[in-house]
Amino acid sequence: MNISMREENGIALLSLSGRLDLASGTALKEQVKKLFANNMNSIHLNLAEVEFINSSGLGAMVSIMKETRMRKGRLTLSNLATYVQEIFEITQLSHIFEIFPTEEEAVSSFSTVHAG
Amino acid sequence: MPRYAFDYPSRSDSEARAMDDLFGLLEEHQIPHELRQHFALAVSEAFTNALVHGNRRQAEKIIHLEVEINDDLLSADITDEGSGGLDRIANRSTAGLLAEGGRGIDLIRHYTDASFSETPNGGLRVTIVMNRKSNVAN
Repeated sequence: MNISMREENGIALLSLSGRLDLASGTALKEQVKKLFANNMNSIHLNLAEVEFINSSGLGAMVSIMKETRMRKGRLTLSNLATYVQEIFEITQLSHIFEIFPTEEEAVSSFSTVHAG
Repeated sequence: MPRYAFDYPSRSDSEARAMDDLFGLLEEHQIPHELRQHFALAVSEAFTNALVHGNRRQAEKIIHLEVEINDDLLSADITDEGSGGLDRIANRSTAGLLAEGGRGIDLIRHYTDASFSETPNGGLRVTIVMNRKSNVAN
């Protein structure tokens, strides 16, 4: 899996591509840990290029979500392929993650929450 | 009918190698995308279970993967060298929403007909079967 990152208005935008599984889930958690170390607690994961995900990948995202909440931050997701969305629904994780159709909508939601 | 066998050491990079091998086979046999994704997910979950819970990441222990592809079925056997294989399945607890693990077996059962058996040495063998005709092709 490849992870590319940029920052926009204090939000770390990570674009993931490839397979999100046991090894790459660990790599993702390590990457996010570095963001936490720099007090970046607003994180967005764009999953548009994720071609495969399993429960280990889901577990990595749950771990990141719990850590962001503990730090009073937020984790958002966007651009889930139909197959990935289906797995979120089967596991009911769609109920606990903030999932947006597009990255733009996810980023806007950070301003809305801050403004509110 | 084509049957393929692979052995992997119980290292964390083996899962990616196994998935490379599996996706290669499914592509070679022109398995439709959706069916391919569901089958690969189930195999991946069984493989991770073997790696983490069966062989406990001990590299010298082998995960054996056998895949059969014919006109009617996709099937896979994933076997570890751990112990108490069936007890691990029987005693597993249901994952809470905020749990980081424990969803793999449920996903296998959701997408496939799966059965669990134990090798003479106590390892777990997960047998996954998908009917090619009754699964939606795209």
